[in-house]
Amino acid sequence: MIRTALKTIFAHKLRLMLTAMSVMIGVAFIAGTFIFTDTINQTFSDLFDDQFAGQDVIVQAEAEFDVGFGGPPPIEESVLDTVLGVQGVAAAAGSAGGFALIYDSNGEAIVPMGPPTIGASSTEDERLRGNIVIREGRTPAGPTEVVIDAKTAGDNGLSVGTVVEVQTVGGVAEYDLVGIVGFGDADNIAGATVAVFDLETAQTLFGLEGMYSGITVIGEEGVSPELLRNNIALALPEGVEAVVSADEAEAQAEALQESLGFLNTALLVFAAVAVFVAAFIIQNTFRIIVRQRQRELALMRAVGATGGQVVWMVAIEALIVGIFASVLGIALGFVISALLTAGMAAIGFDLPSTSASLAPRTIIIGFIVGVGVTLIAAILPAIRAARIPPVAALQDVDVRLRMSDRRRTIFGSILLTIGVGLIVAGLFGDVIDLGPLNELTAVGIGALVVFLAVSMLSSLVVPSLARFIGWPLPKIDNLTGTLAIANAVRKPRRTATTASALMIGLALVAFFFILGDSIKASVSGSIEEGLRADYVISVEGFAGGFSPSLAEDLKGQEEVEATTSLRMGFWDRNGTEEFVMGIEAETVDQTIFLDVQSGSVTALVAGGVFVHEDVASDEGWVVGDSIPMGFAATGLQEVEIVGIYGEQNVVQSNFLVGLEFYEANFSGFGTDTDFVVAVTGAEGASPEATRAVVEAAAAEYGNVTVRDQAEYRESQEAQIDTLLVLFNALLILAVIIALFGIMNTLSLSIYERTREIGLLRAVGMTRPQTRRMIRWESIMVAVIGAILGIVVGLFFGIVVTAALKSQGINQLSIPALQIFGLVIFGVIAGLLAAIIPARRAANLNILEAISYE
Amino acid sequence: MLETRPTTDVAARISDGTKIYGEGDTEVRALDGVSESFEKGRYTAIMGPSGSGKSTLLHCIAGLDELTSGQVYIGDTDLGSLNDKNLTLLRRQKVGFVFQSFNLVPTLSAKENILLPLLIAGEKEDDAWFEQVVGILGLGDRLKHRPSELSGGQQQRVAAARALVSRPDIIFADEPSGNLDSKSAAELLDFMRRAVREFGQTIVMVTHDPVAASYADRIVYLEDGRIAGEMHDPTPEMVIDRMKQFGG
Repeated sequence: MIRTALKTIFAHKLRLMLTAMSVMIGVAFIAGTFIFTDTINQTFSDLFDDQFAGQDVIVQAEAEFDVGFGGPPPIEESVLDTVLGVQGVAAAAGSAGGFALIYDSNGEAIVPMGPPTIGASSTEDERLRGNIVIREGRTPAGPTEVVIDAKTAGDNGLSVGTVVEVQTVGGVAEYDLVGIVGFGDADNIAGATVAVFDLETAQTLFGLEGMYSGITVIGEEGVSPELLRNNIALALPEGVEAVVSADEAEAQAEALQESLGFLNTALLVFAAVAVFVAAFIIQNTFRIIVRQRQRELALMRAVGATGGQVVWMVAIEALIVGIFASVLGIALGFVISALLTAGMAAIGFDLPSTSASLAPRTIIIGFIVGVGVTLIAAILPAIRAARIPPVAALQDVDVRLRMSDRRRTIFGSILLTIGVGLIVAGLFGDVIDLGPLNELTAVGIGALVVFLAVSMLSSLVVPSLARFIGWPLPKIDNLTGTLAIANAVRKPRRTATTASALMIGLALVAFFFILGDSIKASVSGSIEEGLRADYVISVEGFAGGFSPSLAEDLKGQEEVEATTSLRMGFWDRNGTEEFVMGIEAETVDQTIFLDVQSGSVTALVAGGVFVHEDVASDEGWVVGDSIPMGFAATGLQEVEIVGIYGEQNVVQSNFLVGLEFYEANFSGFGTDTDFVVAVTGAEGASPEATRAVVEAAAAEYGNVTVRDQAEYRESQEAQIDTLLVLFNALLILAVIIALFGIMNTLSLSIYERTREIGLLRAVGMTRPQTRRMIRWESIMVAVIGAILGIVVGLFFGIVVTAALKSQGINQLSIPALQIFGLVIFGVIAGLLAAIIPARRAANLNILEAISYE
Repeated sequence: MLETRPTTDVAARISDGTKIYGEGDTEVRALDGVSESFEKGRYTAIMGPSGSGKSTLLHCIAGLDELTSGQVYIGDTDLGSLNDKNLTLLRRQKVGFVFQSFNLVPTLSAKENILLPLLIAGEKEDDAWFEQVVGILGLGDRLKHRPSELSGGQQQRVAAARALVSRPDIIFADEPSGNLDSKSAAELLDFMRRAVREFGQTIVMVTHDPVAASYADRIVYLEDGRIAGEMHDPTPEMVIDRMKQFGG
């Protein structure tokens, strides 16, 4: 049995190669995703280990909640004396860290996209430096000296002995560059820039007078880190803790893994789409193969093979294809991983590159998916193979192996109803409260079912669609056009399945187009409503901020009427991380229209929190209620709700607090810098004058951008566009698989029509005419797929946009041009898929073709 | 569609044609220096035992296969001098084909199949001629049917109509009645002879059936890739006698 199957496979290598290709790409996507996230995890894990190497114990303030990037608050200097007095401590020193932005020799700020800009302090005691090495020069001494990391220095041509500008919370100042530092073998820490000052200077610059961010401790020979930690902990005052360095490294690595887990899941969803499309292709291919081998399989049955054995034969073929494809797919996964890394870099995340990490789990899942999907997809055709009656060996019986049209219509319609029902239930889940995760799953499964249903039902519309699309073809070349249409229509089920594979990818693209456009329109509209300010100052990139002194500078200008600073932070809400914006309550009314429903902004100045109306109504909160909020720096606080507001797209947060409250409850990196400053110009001043003043002030700070309302709207739209491009790029693989599917089906059809093509060539059809016929057939299938995709995508887009109305997406915008572009894409796709099959059809040897058995 | 007066009376001609398959020890000479002419307005049959090269001869003269050496002429045109495009055009305009089976395109109607070469060329048919051919072949009520809806005999008649409709210089038939019952076969062969007698058509037919061969004006015998004789105005009995000498 196995030998027979193997022989058959080798006899039709090309045919199975194309089939394998689809599975391979799907598996590659999955494997690539895992390799990608595993590699990042490994890289950062190593980096954290490096960072904490050489230190045994870290002493820091206790943080009840580990949320966001604002770490624990600083500790008193006196704690150091306590630590030094503990038995077993060989050396200990305080450290101070904070925000520091380095400028290059041209005065431009050096802003890494993604990683932070770190300021740190140096220790005189070499034992406490861990793996930090002075590569050139010496450690800083005094308030005018700085040392920077090797990568920043190297990339920007900053050498020891020159003067460097650095921006800290206090403002921008010049320092002498006295040394270059490295971290073990690495030139920097995962892309972050590092500026090192001596301890006293650091404390001043980072606003930590009399305090330390933490204390690092080395134990004496023979004292284990755990023992050391225990001894120290006993001596420490309330609110201060001692942690083993290695544990801290692990904790940070785990935190990173958690956030990467989200990215992993998102990527896997796209990979699942690709695999789903591949399943379509495989099912189609095996169905065709079974049909073509009908005589041969019937012969086996006539000669005594049981139905089960026939199923086995097809199954073995599927198994071998699956294994082969999985192996190649996993290998290809490395390429996908590299592409993902490049993609991340393109949108702004510079990840350090190391050798890729292939975990056993990746290989196992790759095989399970590859082999599993192939087998499952081939099962139905295999079972049908068993139902071929032996008599089919003697004559070309048209064995009714498929569902009748009527049954398909009924079954398909039922599926469609279920699918739509699931989606609606998931999106407008007021009827059954399934919880957010289950609702998402319901929508996902609903979408899958809808795709299956449309694929089933589409065979009924294929003939009319093909005639509609192909209408101009006979006008160009009568016979070729007629034949092309006839060929597309002659096996509607096959055409429908092939086109449906393309439909899946394009439906999702259309969906994202519509969703993106609607979001852009709504956001744009609501920004117009909500933004009173004339200018918005913000940072590029995703992390960090800028010194509050910029806002200070502006307040003093006569062209400026008001500025409002905004800072961002995270807090713990019943175990989940929640976002909050700290706003300058005193001036916010002049820059932002908060649409206050109840309570007043002035109350925020004293304390308390503002809650967005949607959240308030969900939770049943009113002004006067107290809610528990967990902060990393100050622990759990009961905070009074002093107002409820409606604005969403300017502040982009469901919770607002005043700046004083913010400063009281947040500390550490990222919380002492402004995230956004909104500026309203003075009544009498001209826009040009105001803008000039604002830009002049901002220019000093290097990493900020000034935008007026229109530019700000555009930048928000641009962010959505970036996401759109990202999603569409991830969908490209699914589309490519579908194209291979079209190529595959086309090749198989041509193989089936060998005699017919031979006849046409014999009777006088030229090679170019033959190629044209195949090309047009291919275009029709692809365009059918595009049209189906647009229809389904429209449905998804409209339904989801409607569901998001409560989230502020109140406009439905359908980008007609882009949607139409999908049709054009279908034409191009059809042309591409037809290149090889058309060539083969045209080059068939006529004699062999017409005498083909 | 009447041609100008031809310069020769020979519709097709092969000159010292040799066709070799394989190399060295496995070399097979399907045709070995065959020279033969086929006159206009004549019905010629080619016969021989299996392996004699008769089908190969037909394919080479029809432009479906290439000689290893030698020349083939259809009219005055040397087939060897044509590229694929011109060879294709020649087949479309100057040659008609009837194969043993699978002559028709399944997705087209009988009428479209009959007009196939013209449709490929994008030309309009000569209505009068079309009606005449259809009438004689008795296909008038079958024009809208698909091949799957026609009997074997009807399918072959459609193929024959197609071969005639473009008024080619020569028609090549490869065992046209091979798959038909005797009545349908007789109808088809009779019609083919009428085409020669009444419309001046030239037909070259390969067959192994003595009855079919007897419809021809002349039979050319082939053995081991070489001409082994000919016979004029054959009867089935003469043919059977001759066949006994095959493989001697």
